[in-house]
Amino acid sequence: MSIELKTSQGQIDITKEVIAAIAGGAAIDCYGIVGMASQKQLKDGITELLGKDNFSKGIVVRIDGDSVHIDMYIIVSYGTKISEVAHNVQSTVKYQLDKMLGLAVDSVNIFVQGVRVTTT
Amino acid sequence: MVLNELDGKYLRQMIYQAASHLSQNKEKINALNVFPVPDGDTGTNMDLTFSSGANEIKKHAKNEIKDIASHFAKGLLMGARGNSGVILSQLFRGFSKAVEAKDVLHSLEFAQALEKGVETAYKAVIKPVEGTILTVAKDAAKKAVSTAKNTNDITEVMKETVAEAKASLSRTPQLLPVLKEVGVVDSGGQGLVVIYEAFLAVLEGKDIADVETDAVSMEEMIRAEHHKNAQSHIHTDDIEFGYCTEFMIHFRDSKLKEQPFEEEAFRNKLSKLGDSLLVVADDELVKVHIHSEYPGELLTYAQRYGELINIKIDNMREQHSSIVQREEAANVKKANTEANIEKEKERFGFVTVAAGKGLVELFKGLGNTEVIFGGQTMNPSTEDIVQAIEKINAETVFVLPNNGNIMMAAEQAAKVASSHVKIIPTKTIPQGIAALFAFNPDLDDKMNEKAMKAAMSNVKSGQVTYAVRDTAIDRIQIKENDFLSISEGKIVSTAPTSEEAAKNLLNEMITDDNELVTIIYGENISEAETEVLEEYINENFSFMDVEIQNGMQPVYSYIIAVE
Repeated sequence: MSIELKTSQGQIDITKEVIAAIAGGAAIDCYGIVGMASQKQLKDGITELLGKDNFSKGIVVRIDGDSVHIDMYIIVSYGTKISEVAHNVQSTVKYQLDKMLGLAVDSVNIFVQGVRVTTT
Repeated sequence: MVLNELDGKYLRQMIYQAASHLSQNKEKINALNVFPVPDGDTGTNMDLTFSSGANEIKKHAKNEIKDIASHFAKGLLMGARGNSGVILSQLFRGFSKAVEAKDVLHSLEFAQALEKGVETAYKAVIKPVEGTILTVAKDAAKKAVSTAKNTNDITEVMKETVAEAKASLSRTPQLLPVLKEVGVVDSGGQGLVVIYEAFLAVLEGKDIADVETDAVSMEEMIRAEHHKNAQSHIHTDDIEFGYCTEFMIHFRDSKLKEQPFEEEAFRNKLSKLGDSLLVVADDELVKVHIHSEYPGELLTYAQRYGELINIKIDNMREQHSSIVQREEAANVKKANTEANIEKEKERFGFVTVAAGKGLVELFKGLGNTEVIFGGQTMNPSTEDIVQAIEKINAETVFVLPNNGNIMMAAEQAAKVASSHVKIIPTKTIPQGIAALFAFNPDLDDKMNEKAMKAAMSNVKSGQVTYAVRDTAIDRIQIKENDFLSISEGKIVSTAPTSEEAAKNLLNEMITDDNELVTIIYGENISEAETEVLEEYINENFSFMDVEIQNGMQPVYSYIIAVE
């Protein structure tokens, strides 16, 4: 299923994969994220192999009628303010999707799946 | 003033001073904010974060460096706002760790603590974006350490640190394309410079009010505002305030007597008449930039305070697209230069073996991968593998044979090839795929080898193929043209159709603790036939997710992976 945008010259269909890729790209630009999480290695991996980069790992795009919801599974760096990192991801993802697709997302849900501790 | 020992009292003052300096400059920093989201809140976020840190030390009376640093770091963490705030909290978390046991600091210890902060900050991010506060902090800390090696004077160290931070800030547009497009320096980096300036002022015994913050020019701020404006208005019709208006007010004492100038009130009044507002005032002049629908009103209002000079009014509806166009031009240029860069030697590459157009594409999708056509019935020679290894321009080449029969040839090839070769002993296609996914470009060759070997043993492999003659293996009677289900290299059953064989195989392979089955169908199988299997799995193993790929491989009707 994809998202349809109607313009005066016709219709634009945007697939979920595109949305996921943009969301993922925006997220890894955010400070404090050290990874995207996913339990299913093979499934994500195949998308990765097909050249869709691994940004979309751990991103679920749901389309419900007219509204778009994004679930993101992330791993955050130890010692950061997790709520703030998550909030930064939300606003960046929302902004990039609006800027690149003109798409207003209804919700960006962040699931913090892990905290990576580095030795410092 | 020469200072050989930094104590907690100084650090406390430095932090208080920086908090107030940051607060005074937050509007300027806000105005520069175009990355990552041009929402103009970097200054506010840094101000809130920093003052949360400063407030935390106010609560505690102890004046040892270690206490102040750790309270400050805690306060920053609790109050962290926005990307820049989180980065700030990391910089001082690292700083605080480095001075954990110290009552006072010498110059080198101070500089190394700054560097430790940078290290910590860099560790907390998957992909550090250069040209931001991170870069400014890194360059400044490096300079601090090199200076501290030659002098014990902390004031001198801080002076050099500030100078380098400013220099680094001025280089940020070269590193971050969006800054270059807009023609501004990074807002977070600017914030850090403001903080360091305040630190220096305390060490030099100056009042921060006397220290000019020179780096932000009005032009830079205006460009950033225009950029944000263009971003938020995709259509020309959406522009609410059509005239970009800039002017300066030269104060006249006679007028000020009647109408004293108050920056805050002036800003508030103007903000009701338009957006993208910038106001910079000193004792003699006010510079104003605003987008307004009725510039006349503005000018009339501003005249109350003095004479208007350098007036410029542009119609933005007419020139609205220029910024967007400039952006496009910059992108084209960037793409061109990228194309011209010579291909450098990559760190890692892969050579793998597969048959079937779909599978080959699947493997090739993973960047630097060379796929040799072959498999069960067509084993590539040692030379084929050597050639593929040589073609891969990488420091370390991983070879994934994906078939037990090719293992020997691969080992032979590894000995002959001139590159550094590591063999991942994959015996099936699913193992090969699983191993490739476990690869992490951030790790070294040994860690990757370990991870890939572990991953390949986590996946179960199965195949469905047909018998070319009558035979009996492992007490199973096989007739010509029967379909065989092979699990982990062993024939487990036979069936008259590929569908039945596949179902048998699925029954054999799937257990309760699996969650994903990947079916790769071959060239003699249609998508519809595969969908039947998907339904079968959904009905009988509802807990499983199903992934279907068209591998277009010969020989095997289905290759099945279960994990």
